[in-house]
Amino acid sequence: MPIEMSKYLGIYVTEATEHLEALGRELVELEKNADDSLVDSMFRHAHSVKGMAAAMGYEASAILAHRMEDIVQLVRSDRSKLSGDLVDLLLATTDALMEQVRAAADNREAPQPDEILTRLTGTVSALTGRAPAATRVLAVEPPVPAETKSPPIEPPAAGSSFNGRWAIQLRVAASCQVPGVRAFLVYKRLSNTGRIFELRPPIESLRSGRIPDGLISLELETSASASEIESLAKNIAEVELLSLKQVKSTVPEVVSAQETSAASRKTGGGQEGQRTVRIRTELLDYFLENAGELLLASANLREWGKGLPAQIRAQFNEGVDRLQLLAKNLHSKVMSSRMMPLTSVTDRFPRVTRDLARRHGKEVDLVIAGAEVELDRAIIDSVSDPLLHLLRNCVDHGIEEPKQRENAKKGPRGRILLGVRRTQERVVIELEDDGRGMDAEKLKAIAKERGLITADAAAKMSDKEAFLLACLPGISTATGVTDTSGRGVGLDAVKKAVENLGGKFEIESRRGRGTRFVLDLPLTVSVVNLMLAKVSEEVVGLPISKVLGATEMDSGKLSSSRDSTFLQHESSLLPVYELAALLRWPAARANGARPYIVTEGETGRVALAVDKLLGQEEVVLKVLPAPLHLIPGLSGVSILGSGRPIFVLDIPRLLEHGLAAS
Amino acid sequence: MAKRVLVVDDAIFMRNMIKDIFMSGGLEVVGEASNGLEAVEKYKELKPDLTTMDIVMPFKSGIEATRDIIKENDKAVVVMCSALGQESLVMEAIEAGASDFIVKPFRSDDVLAVVKKVLGEE
Repeated sequence: MPIEMSKYLGIYVTEATEHLEALGRELVELEKNADDSLVDSMFRHAHSVKGMAAAMGYEASAILAHRMEDIVQLVRSDRSKLSGDLVDLLLATTDALMEQVRAAADNREAPQPDEILTRLTGTVSALTGRAPAATRVLAVEPPVPAETKSPPIEPPAAGSSFNGRWAIQLRVAASCQVPGVRAFLVYKRLSNTGRIFELRPPIESLRSGRIPDGLISLELETSASASEIESLAKNIAEVELLSLKQVKSTVPEVVSAQETSAASRKTGGGQEGQRTVRIRTELLDYFLENAGELLLASANLREWGKGLPAQIRAQFNEGVDRLQLLAKNLHSKVMSSRMMPLTSVTDRFPRVTRDLARRHGKEVDLVIAGAEVELDRAIIDSVSDPLLHLLRNCVDHGIEEPKQRENAKKGPRGRILLGVRRTQERVVIELEDDGRGMDAEKLKAIAKERGLITADAAAKMSDKEAFLLACLPGISTATGVTDTSGRGVGLDAVKKAVENLGGKFEIESRRGRGTRFVLDLPLTVSVVNLMLAKVSEEVVGLPISKVLGATEMDSGKLSSSRDSTFLQHESSLLPVYELAALLRWPAARANGARPYIVTEGETGRVALAVDKLLGQEEVVLKVLPAPLHLIPGLSGVSILGSGRPIFVLDIPRLLEHGLAAS
Repeated sequence: MAKRVLVVDDAIFMRNMIKDIFMSGGLEVVGEASNGLEAVEKYKELKPDLTTMDIVMPFKSGIEATRDIIKENDKAVVVMCSALGQESLVMEAIEAGASDFIVKPFRSDDVLAVVKKVLGEE
């Protein structure tokens, strides 16, 4: 890459990647539906990549893209050329290009795509019957071409400003890459000023670039003066005016082509279009962090203001209110700028599905619905791999081979549905296949065998709970149940990733009918609404989204059975846990009325006994720094308006862990 | 006064490159468009001295956009940005009223030579 090109590298990588991703998507689509606009769009993508790569001096990429363009062009003119193998080749080319682009991004030498180039060249030759055209690449900044000298023109004869006929000789520079077009441009420009005769070589030869020595001669009848013709010729690059001589005027009147009036006809319906800029994600993270800090700082200020004398406080608070409103608006705008559509993850899924299915000799249709829903970038990043893993799981293990499906009286083509829907604060992603389903009994048996659950627990376990056994480490990769192509990621990793985001993971399945994975996720992760409670002289926060209610009850009015206590809440009895005990903090044994927070754990609703309810607060959640992140049941830390740092609890995990320990 | 340029290309990469070339050549890039439709709108709005026009673009090709711009102002200076292998398209664009063309991958000197000539600055 020429040195001065390095500043374009970032944008090259971004844009080329986008084009290649789009190409990949369209290639998968192409097999189903080869309509013109699709093929045109593919051509544009290949063409753009070719142009950019050539400009950057990436020869291999430029050639790959050029071959791609060739093949798409062929398909455009003759659909019968399209085949599964050809799509395979184009997909492989897209991958190879992607690899080249990534290598460029990492500033390392890209592997030479010799094998694929050979295949491409072979294919283009086989389809067209001739070798593909050479690709022009800007390898090194070439020397500055010698500036054309001022043309030696015969001094215009006296009276040359009259209408007249001129013999003109021109030469197209030998360095010109497209002499045909250059010559045609000259011809066109001159013919705009008058009428052309005696053109040598004739126009067809000019257009096709057959111009011996670059020499063009013609006669022009025009009202233009010599100096006008001169400057016209001078204003065309790569063309030298060799001579300009007046010949006898034959026609008194000369047609001027310059008389078309500009019809300023306004076409309506101007489209505004969204103006966008690209921004580095680190910068966005920085904005978010600072907008969050700003929120905290203004909340701090409010706390501080409480100590001010009353007469100043009103004015002070007014200022703080305004500051807080601004900070909040800023924060929410920054948050929304971090939102990305889930399509940024799911766009590659059709390709993955196709490749996997083809490899396993299966036929699978993937239908994606609703993936335009926008989620925080942090969530998008975290669910990307889990979703991919689940998809693989569906194709590898869910969907049966066509024969088996026929035997099971299903169509030969399997179907996978990826549905996304948004509720107020959550996004629910469902991935569903119509394959063989999971076997709850088999899962239980394996879990029992490995001593992960007791026979008693297995007997009591619902199917839905049993499916989640597949998420236990050790079972998730058990053969025949949810084995995952040896990728080393089990369903346990999926479940963990979802839960780390404050989400919920569920599996529903029916034997012989299919499996549905449900990922219930928050829209954003960074700001949470907390219910604050005092426990053992400490303040902790519980995400409001997990809190179903709060109540106060005299401890004497709790129902007990054996060693468990229950709280009557909305016509059901909820098991009561001391939050302090779950956290292993010293419990302040208080008698009389105590507040309880009703929340949802893995196994259903529970009531958590706390010392005092302190109200709600919106906070910026920060991830726990190592090694605090190892403590189960904590999902993050935050700083309250008062400046007090608090732990934010992950209730389901806290319960799970606390109960397992007790 | 610096000549005002509108840069039309569907690739930001290409636009950036052309912009840098123009800036180095003392021209002022007053606007950008990423497709033919936008190009025509921007042309009407900005009335640039020069428009560089990519050929293969979504929604409306550079050739159609050139035709529309020339319809708007037959003195408009439109320079096509083409690749090798697009000769017949460039000629079509010239028929449609394009004043000149530059060939990708761009070399700064070539581009400026074409542009300065077409603007009559030499």
